[in-house]
Amino acid sequence: MQRVVLVGLNHTTAPLAIREKLVFPGEARAAALAAFKQAWPGAEAVLVSTCNRVELYVGRGIHDQPRAEQMIEFLATQRGVPAAEVQQHFYRSNDREAVTHLFSVASSLDSMVLGETQILGQVREAYECACACGSAGAMLNPLFQRAIAVGRQVMTHTALNEGRMSVASIAVDYARRIFDHFGDKTVLSIGAGKMAALVLQSFATLSPGKLLICNRDLTKAEALAQKFGGQPAAFDRLTEHLTAADVVISSTGATRPIITAAMYRSIERARRYRPMFLIDIALPRDIEQEVGEIENVYLYNIDDLQEVVATTQSQRQDAADEARRIVHEHVEEFAAWTRARQIGPLIDRLYRRYHHIAQQEVARAEGKLGDLSDAEKAHLHDLARRIVNKLLHDPIQRLRDSDALHAPTNQYLNVLEKLFRLEPEDGETPSAEPTHEQDPTRD
Amino acid sequence: MPITSGQLLLISLGAACFALAGVLALLRALLGRESLRTWGRVVLLAGALLSLAAIVWHAMGRGQWLPMSDNFEALAWLAVLLALFVIYVQRSRPMPMLDGFIVPVVTLLAIAAAMFGRLTPHSYKTVGKDTFLWVHTATAYGGAALFAVAAAGGAMYEYARRALRRKSKAPPPRLASLERLEHLMMNSVTVGFALLTIAAVTGFVRMAEESAGGRMHVKVALATLAWMVYALVMHAPINPRFRGRRAAMLSVFGFVLMIGTLIAVQFMPGGNG
Repeated sequence: MQRVVLVGLNHTTAPLAIREKLVFPGEARAAALAAFKQAWPGAEAVLVSTCNRVELYVGRGIHDQPRAEQMIEFLATQRGVPAAEVQQHFYRSNDREAVTHLFSVASSLDSMVLGETQILGQVREAYECACACGSAGAMLNPLFQRAIAVGRQVMTHTALNEGRMSVASIAVDYARRIFDHFGDKTVLSIGAGKMAALVLQSFATLSPGKLLICNRDLTKAEALAQKFGGQPAAFDRLTEHLTAADVVISSTGATRPIITAAMYRSIERARRYRPMFLIDIALPRDIEQEVGEIENVYLYNIDDLQEVVATTQSQRQDAADEARRIVHEHVEEFAAWTRARQIGPLIDRLYRRYHHIAQQEVARAEGKLGDLSDAEKAHLHDLARRIVNKLLHDPIQRLRDSDALHAPTNQYLNVLEKLFRLEPEDGETPSAEPTHEQDPTRD
Repeated sequence: MPITSGQLLLISLGAACFALAGVLALLRALLGRESLRTWGRVVLLAGALLSLAAIVWHAMGRGQWLPMSDNFEALAWLAVLLALFVIYVQRSRPMPMLDGFIVPVVTLLAIAAAMFGRLTPHSYKTVGKDTFLWVHTATAYGGAALFAVAAAGGAMYEYARRALRRKSKAPPPRLASLERLEHLMMNSVTVGFALLTIAAVTGFVRMAEESAGGRMHVKVALATLAWMVYALVMHAPINPRFRGRRAAMLSVFGFVLMIGTLIAVQFMPGGNG
């Protein structure tokens, strides 16, 4: 019997300072999954890591490892953080609760900004990474495929995504509160990734006098600069660009701050103490927190902006309720499918085994009874069949009615397997390949 | 010449309109009800017209059309000029919450005009006969009006700056951008400083002529201090360390000194030049 175990932390349980320590950038995630496979070869894992959350989903045998605490320790060790330091920020859940959580995450119901679409892509990315690493198997493949389908359905069938204020639009709104006109202003983007492009798209509407894209990889900077009519800027001349900038959007993958308070103070005079609006949407943060304490500096990080967005979204409660209904429906469907998938073969084996025993006993009885007519033999077979069916009816009905995503059911199944020696027969083990056919209820 | 009951009624109604306009501006900001904007403008305009009518009636009564011949006219003019400034800005290029910050000052000036005009008739006896002194009075009050605008700009700047730095979860009330508020502040201080300088020079010349030296009057001391504070604010383009918050705080402080000067003019012996 398999079970889904989740450990994770998000913006509600952990501050930015903790989240940035545990974030898994692209390569680190693949490396972590490889390490996980090595540590627990029989278990499956998908690691979701975004700026708001780090979650590890594990599919494993009901009595197997890793346990939740081991999973937390694994994550902490992978990022070089003492587990004791972060343990209290983690939530843990199993089976139905974990499935509901994942579906809510993919639907952005668990996001700081309700209705944000980015999370769906991030869940998909996490799943694809696990597939590439070979850490997603028979349990997590259908789960994540279903989660992605649920997220897509919520985005397209509800108004959750409509009239939403994004982090980028809030950033532009705040820039307007600092600056009156932008024709004589310089907007500097440090980093040329997806997030930078998203925010720049909003800032481009302000028609800034100069738009600089500063990136270590100049070809990426050039591509983004071309898209928004800006200029690529060399990363090694960052100080010079900062001196000229009025608005800075930072979204690099750097593991240490690239703009420090000391660095800013060194250019303050050259900037003639002009106000500067800094938007740090990177995780780990690109800009030292102390920079925000300097006079005429307005520093906003991803949490600051998302909190503002979150408070503007209370009016979309109807859409959120509709999204929750969809999530609930899908959890039920998934539970039914899992039940059929886990219980079906077991019941089948149970029936076959006991009918086989009954038939053996009937055959023995026929030998002892001597000449029996065909009608009498048929009665005897029928009697044995009905006795087996009646004996098995109640427990099997209870099993069928149970919720496959609840832990006790898994335990019942496990006990049943052990007590009645119902080991899977050849060819019954579900495929580990991520095929759509595995999930018959998939949209 | 003390103001009549009719003039008092007019200026009191004007003050009530200003107060109501202030309340409407506040409600608009708190409740976010833009429908109150038109009502606020109408009431503010009504207040300005009523105050203007009181000034005209007062001028007719004393047969002298040159304004600022007594403390009632000076304060009423100051209120009307500020109210007209708000109406003009809000019509040409609206500045959110400007009325919320300036109209309370306008209301206080109108109330002060009503009180001082009635209770302490305080005419500037030489004004009207002496152009030199009229220039002194007009530039001093013109400067004060502009410093009131600068102080409002400074207060708004500081409020907006704090709201931005506090990073509250809800977006702060929408004011004009910090950049625009700084421009408003600096432009008002620049022109106000020029007017105050003229007022100071003409005042000193008059003092020298009248041989009033020997001891410095409180209004002179306060006006000189205010002039020095605004000189510091004016310093901001040269020394950018003074820009932003420091300039805003100094503008507010300078206006407090200007109010002190006005009070000294109204109450201290020999304060009416």
